[in-house]
Amino acid sequence: MNLKDISIKRKLMLITMLTSGVAVVLSSAGFLIYDLTSFRQSLSQDLTTQAEIIGYNSAAAMAFKDESSATVTLAALQAKQDIVSAVLYTRDGKVFARYFHGNTPPPPLPVLPRERGYRIEGSHLEVFQDVSLNGEPLGILFLQSDMRQWNSRAKRYGIIFLSFVLISGFFALLVSSKLQQLISGPILHLEDTMRMVSATKSYEVRATKFYGDEIGRLIDGFNTMLSEIQQRDAAVHDANDELQIRTLELEGEIVRRSEMQEELLNAKHAAEDANRAKSAFLANMSHELRTPLNAIIGYSEMLEEETQELGKVENVKDLQKIQGAGKHLLALINDVLDLSKIEAGRMGLHLENFDISQMIEEMVATLHPALSKNSNTIQVRLANELGAMRADITKVRQILYNLLSNACKFTDHGAISVDVDRSTEDNQDWIRFRVTDTGIGISAKQKRNLFQEFTQADVSIARKYGGTGLGLAISYRYVRLMKGRISVESVPDQGSVFTVHLPAKGTTEPIEAAQPEKPNDVPAASAEVKPNQDTVLVIDDDSVVRDLMSRFLTRLGFHVVAAASGEEGLRLAKQVNPLVITLDVIMPNCDGWAVLNQLKADPGLAAIPVIMVTVVDNESMGFELGASNYMIKPVDRDRLAVLIEKHRVARSFAVTDTKATPDSHRDASPKTKSGAWKETARII
Amino acid sequence: MKLKILLVEDNELNRDMLSRRLQRKGYCVIAAHDGEQGHLLAKSESPDLILMDISLPAMDGWEVTRLLKANEATRHIPIIVLTAHALVSDRTKAYEAGCDDFDTKPVDFGRLTEKIENLLVVRKPS
Repeated sequence: MNLKDISIKRKLMLITMLTSGVAVVLSSAGFLIYDLTSFRQSLSQDLTTQAEIIGYNSAAAMAFKDESSATVTLAALQAKQDIVSAVLYTRDGKVFARYFHGNTPPPPLPVLPRERGYRIEGSHLEVFQDVSLNGEPLGILFLQSDMRQWNSRAKRYGIIFLSFVLISGFFALLVSSKLQQLISGPILHLEDTMRMVSATKSYEVRATKFYGDEIGRLIDGFNTMLSEIQQRDAAVHDANDELQIRTLELEGEIVRRSEMQEELLNAKHAAEDANRAKSAFLANMSHELRTPLNAIIGYSEMLEEETQELGKVENVKDLQKIQGAGKHLLALINDVLDLSKIEAGRMGLHLENFDISQMIEEMVATLHPALSKNSNTIQVRLANELGAMRADITKVRQILYNLLSNACKFTDHGAISVDVDRSTEDNQDWIRFRVTDTGIGISAKQKRNLFQEFTQADVSIARKYGGTGLGLAISYRYVRLMKGRISVESVPDQGSVFTVHLPAKGTTEPIEAAQPEKPNDVPAASAEVKPNQDTVLVIDDDSVVRDLMSRFLTRLGFHVVAAASGEEGLRLAKQVNPLVITLDVIMPNCDGWAVLNQLKADPGLAAIPVIMVTVVDNESMGFELGASNYMIKPVDRDRLAVLIEKHRVARSFAVTDTKATPDSHRDASPKTKSGAWKETARII
Repeated sequence: MKLKILLVEDNELNRDMLSRRLQRKGYCVIAAHDGEQGHLLAKSESPDLILMDISLPAMDGWEVTRLLKANEATRHIPIIVLTAHALVSDRTKAYEAGCDDFDTKPVDFGRLTEKIENLLVVRKPS
């Protein structure tokens, strides 16, 4: 284990031990060195003194060259255990006498140094001393000590030193192991606390502060941090709880909303059912009302003829009044019936070619009673070479009659004019009818609801001028049915101008129009392709079905484009942006499901209602993929007509919302419109 | 000789009124009050023209028209269907059933007589 990684407790003890150890060793060593040095000093002085004495004693022997007495003198050194050898040299360096201790072999004779004094040679202390008598040098004495005393002293000291170090180390260990807790205790406690907090995540735990030192401050800081974390944790917890509650609330809200939506949807269904029931009721009621009215008018006409023959003029007038009232009532009932038929989607178009100027003249002729009633004048201005148009003449006549009779009704002693001309817009011929009067006019506010049923500009107006208030609503719907448009400009108290644009060539017979005009444009298309909101796209690989559907839908006043395959259908859908698509399922290559999928995946086409017309009985699949309706072949034509008409009416209602400027419906984005009608379409 | 018109109409007032007015116009009128009677009279009386109401008890106007037009003996008799429903589908249905003209109720008497005269003029030479 790395020394750096050992616990702080051990580190502290180690530091203490090392420090005290070093101190003890150093101080003891200092003392030891000093003592041993001074002891050696005293030893060498002793040896020197010894040498002086022996030198003195052996001086005479040397002077008399008495070797034996010199040897005796030297032998006296026997008493000195530590002196291992002694040699007397003559002045010329020859050995005069020698001694060596005990039975040790005679040491080699040292080379005589020039200097005198003592020296340490290996483990021995040596002294050279001049021997002289009365100042006359006689020789040199050499003494060698084995420093036995010093050695034993050093050995003893070593033992004492060692035991002293061991004893002091033991005490240092004892003391430091107690004292290190002062530092390591709080740190270890802090560490324990931290480990516990991180393991249990309980931030309410606090570390205990022991002392006011740095570690104490560290613990303070740690505790502060813990309480902050605890607060944040609590805050997060609270926020979490809050979030959970909110989520629950939101979920509840979503459930509530979806329930509400369902209720609304049910209510919508109920309302639509009710509306259908109303329309049916109105239609039936109108029929029931017309039967007795038939008798009233018929009998009064008959009586009038008979009375005329009898010459009772005053009775004739009364009978004419009965007739007039009956016819007025009939007109009202017809209006109601017409409107309910349009709403129920059961109003079709009977296209025929007719001469415009002749139609206008005939209609103006029938208007004379209404004109003379308020002393109005009428002026008809027809453009040159107006020619013929192809449309439902009854409805064109009714639109103009409604506009003109309104003009007569709301103008007193004024001028009414009809202008008719022809124009070309979007590669299409249009006939423009303009009815101008100098009557009471319409305010901007009144204009907003002008084309809605039962809405006369003012309630008081109804009382004063009479009428059902249905004329403009019917006219508006007829114009829409014929793919035209109607608009009004008016200045109150100065007059109004109603302008109607109708296609000069109403919905053409598809088979007539297709081949000669655009043979190479769309091979299987059974009609010329025009971007037209009243166009129905029929996608079916069976040419008989295409033909039958085209004939049938054209008779109902739709513009039909047919496609023989799924791919072609998709291409045409993009090209013509039809009102409705009818779609077969079993087709080669790209089947109806694939087509439906691609239609609904294309944001530009997704809004177009798709009616599945197929032998495949898989309604749920169709609705899942986004079909609006599902019909199984053989097709119930009446139901198909109702469905398509519903889509058209739904769209025209969507347009009604922006009806303040009726002209704007052409520019309105198909998406916003279709969004509204798709909803309506699904619940038919 | 007076031209004979068969009027099939269940409403008594309308039947009475129409037959009287047609008589005043110089036609001989026989009237039936339901489809079955109308069918029988058409076969037994062989009228020059039939005015046929659609909503009739027992057998409706469509059915009677179909039967008459399917019968060799009565096929030539022109039939004008009268209906209170001025619906497109009615008009289509009327022609599909094989009738010769179509008018809506309440009848405009002038227009109706015009239609009657037209049909009788067309039929007379054949």
